[in-house]
Amino acid sequence: MNKVININFQGRILPIEDLAYETLKQYIESLRSYFANEEGRDEIINDIECRIAELCEDLLKKGIVCIAVVDIDLIIASIGRPADFEAQDGFEQSTASGTNNTKESRQQNTNNTSAPINGSRQKRLYRDEQNKVLGGVCSGIANYFNIDPLVVRILWFFLIGVNILGYLILWIAVPSSSVKEVGGVRKRLFRDLDNKIIGGVAGGLSKYFGIQVWIIRILFLIPFIRFVLNYRDMQLFQFWDAPDFPNFLDITFSPGAVFVYIVLWLVLPEAKTSADKLEMVGEKVDLNSIKNTIQNDMEGFTKRAQSWGSELYHKKNRNVVANNEAAQTEIKEEASNRSKENKKGIIYYLGRIITLCIKGIVYFILAIVGISLVAALFGIGAAATALLPLRKFLLEDGAQTWSVIGAILLFVWVPIIGIVTAIIRKIAGFKKANIWVRSSFWALWIVGWVMLFYFGSSLGNSFSRHNVPIEQSIILTNPKIDFLEITATPKMKYYENHWFEITPFEGYYDDDTVFVRNLRIRIVPSKTDSFQVKVVKLSNGETIQHANELANKINFNLTQQDSLVYLDKGIGINKIDKFRNQHVIMTIAVPIGKRIKVSNKGWTQTNLNINGRGIRMGTIDRIASDEDWYDEWNEPWDNESYQFERGVEYKMTSTGLEKIKRASDEDIDQPENLIDTENPTEMQKELQELKQERLKLQNEREKAAKKTGNIILEDPNATNKVNKAASKFADLHWVLDRFTY
Amino acid sequence: MDIQNTQSQMRKGVLEFCILSIIQQGEVYPSDIVEKMKKANLHILEGTLYPLLTRLKNAGLLNYRWVESISGPPRKYFVMTEEGNAAFEVLLKTWNEMADAVHHLTIQNSTTAFNTIETVA
Repeated sequence: MNKVININFQGRILPIEDLAYETLKQYIESLRSYFANEEGRDEIINDIECRIAELCEDLLKKGIVCIAVVDIDLIIASIGRPADFEAQDGFEQSTASGTNNTKESRQQNTNNTSAPINGSRQKRLYRDEQNKVLGGVCSGIANYFNIDPLVVRILWFFLIGVNILGYLILWIAVPSSSVKEVGGVRKRLFRDLDNKIIGGVAGGLSKYFGIQVWIIRILFLIPFIRFVLNYRDMQLFQFWDAPDFPNFLDITFSPGAVFVYIVLWLVLPEAKTSADKLEMVGEKVDLNSIKNTIQNDMEGFTKRAQSWGSELYHKKNRNVVANNEAAQTEIKEEASNRSKENKKGIIYYLGRIITLCIKGIVYFILAIVGISLVAALFGIGAAATALLPLRKFLLEDGAQTWSVIGAILLFVWVPIIGIVTAIIRKIAGFKKANIWVRSSFWALWIVGWVMLFYFGSSLGNSFSRHNVPIEQSIILTNPKIDFLEITATPKMKYYENHWFEITPFEGYYDDDTVFVRNLRIRIVPSKTDSFQVKVVKLSNGETIQHANELANKINFNLTQQDSLVYLDKGIGINKIDKFRNQHVIMTIAVPIGKRIKVSNKGWTQTNLNINGRGIRMGTIDRIASDEDWYDEWNEPWDNESYQFERGVEYKMTSTGLEKIKRASDEDIDQPENLIDTENPTEMQKELQELKQERLKLQNEREKAAKKTGNIILEDPNATNKVNKAASKFADLHWVLDRFTY
Repeated sequence: MDIQNTQSQMRKGVLEFCILSIIQQGEVYPSDIVEKMKKANLHILEGTLYPLLTRLKNAGLLNYRWVESISGPPRKYFVMTEEGNAAFEVLLKTWNEMADAVHHLTIQNSTTAFNTIETVA
């Protein structure tokens, strides 16, 4: 079932099949270009058209409803094709079934369809100038095989991939349909049987191009060499991936090249007769003629591409780089469309879909990048703005403050506003902001950068110097107690600001003062048998003197009540002195055998850095000079400190702090595996036994004391015994710990 | 040497002369010319004929007139002009001379050459 259209041909209406019309049109076009240089071309064409019209009329008169492709083919055969004109200058060989008289019946004529079309000679491969996308190579091949050029293009695409190299070769070598010299020996592509290894394809190619045979053979063999060298399994499938990736070297030299060889083997005729062989060598393909041909073709393509490009230019969304690629794909699609005379088949829509997909993916990626950028900036901006009330505690008045305000405004908020408005514009289809607005946005942003740098350097300057640390002792009211618990001042309301954890600022404040809980606790064994607390106050500043002043002003006090030590609610920072990284290191010396516990009330983990083992460090004498102040920070605090658990009692032994199993009830975060599930009762029993032993020993001691009076208080044996028992107890406990931990 | 090319050259040589001779015999239109040539066993394609006729017309050797026909588009009927006639005479003489010469050269080869010349002349 074919579509039929009516055409106005030489003043009469002809019903003709759509396909037949296409054929006819192409034919007339080919005539047109054949007679391009002929004087009186229009007249000739007109005459020929008249003749065609006449023949068609005759057909219609005979009772045929519409002109079909066969009819057109017959008509063209009788009039002749341009190729036939110059081949024998219009004369058919008498052996071929001669010109068809259309007055004969169609039945008869259909038998002779093939011969007239061929003319007297074998059909020749030439490039079709009328029907070309790039160079008409595929069209030419299509004409030769009588298939649709589109089919050839598709086959080319899949078989050989975007094989520019092969295409270029054919583009150069295959003559154009519009260039017909009258007479002269044309060069034809044959297979050279005299020079063959497999099929003579390489030989024929070499003769045609005038290249040495071995070069061509190596070209065909390169993929295999490469395969062997690389030993990549993927390479076998590489040419299937060809459509995705126009890496023409890869594809040209892939095993897909074998297909090219096979195709050529099938297609090319053998050079049998001496005439053939002469033709095979024939004229040399002239470099000048090659150059001219390519130049002309490229110019033509450029012009066509430009015209289509300007069409696409007027569409939306042309600025993105990916759009250029998409546009080029579109141009290609348009090109093949035009060559098909606006036949919008599936291929067209397929191409459109592919283009849209590519565009969509690229846009998506860009959108994600853009959104994350904006979100990051927004986060910084919000954080900075929220911190603004605290600025007085950190920044000097004047330049620093202004610079930070400026930096926030310009560095952070300006780009956010700019990006958001640009997006809104784009989505809503408004015109882009005019050049002044855009450049002022950029300028402000750059000023923001400058301010940021100034702020950064200025602030760094304020913190540059470190004070000279002095260790002060804090006198405990009762240093000889057994057990010390560090806790926070009771009845405090703590405002935990968890929104962002910028440690120096984490605190709470009333109007003038911010309390910063920058405290580090070091627990070290004591050299005496009493608890000792030492405190070092540290601060930074612009100058050492200033730092010293600030350090002195730190107000850090302890309150001791029996076995509890209450810490202040924090280091007070006021607006005059500003925050300059004031912090305090508190060293608690625990005598061996005594216990210590740090409760987790109030002070969160981030503020207390506790050195668990405390064995390696003595009291602080390391913060000697400015240059070494890093040491304080680089001390191996954190290796150990995380092991120190809050709310857990620790006992200082000769080898360091050891955890005592009992955990205090009030504390929330208990260490996990205090109580072992294996044999708890046994452990309890042992504990009881040990306790009893201890009691026994104590009783014995008392008895002994009573017996011998008070002298024996200092009896070394007794004391030793007690000590031994105690240490035994401790060791057993240690063993138990090991098993139960 | 390419046989086919030479053959083609030979035919090309006499083409114009043959056409002129057909037209000289009377007013014809192109399809007629093709027909007549076919009958004379000299096949020609219309696509070759038309440009040739146009060339001859542009050279002033031919003239044409349009004849309306009931069935189909108007046709061009070609007639000889004075110049055309003159040219024809010249060519006829040339042909005769040549035919003679060739005949003389080939008479020893075969009798078929002899026959061909007889019919044409």
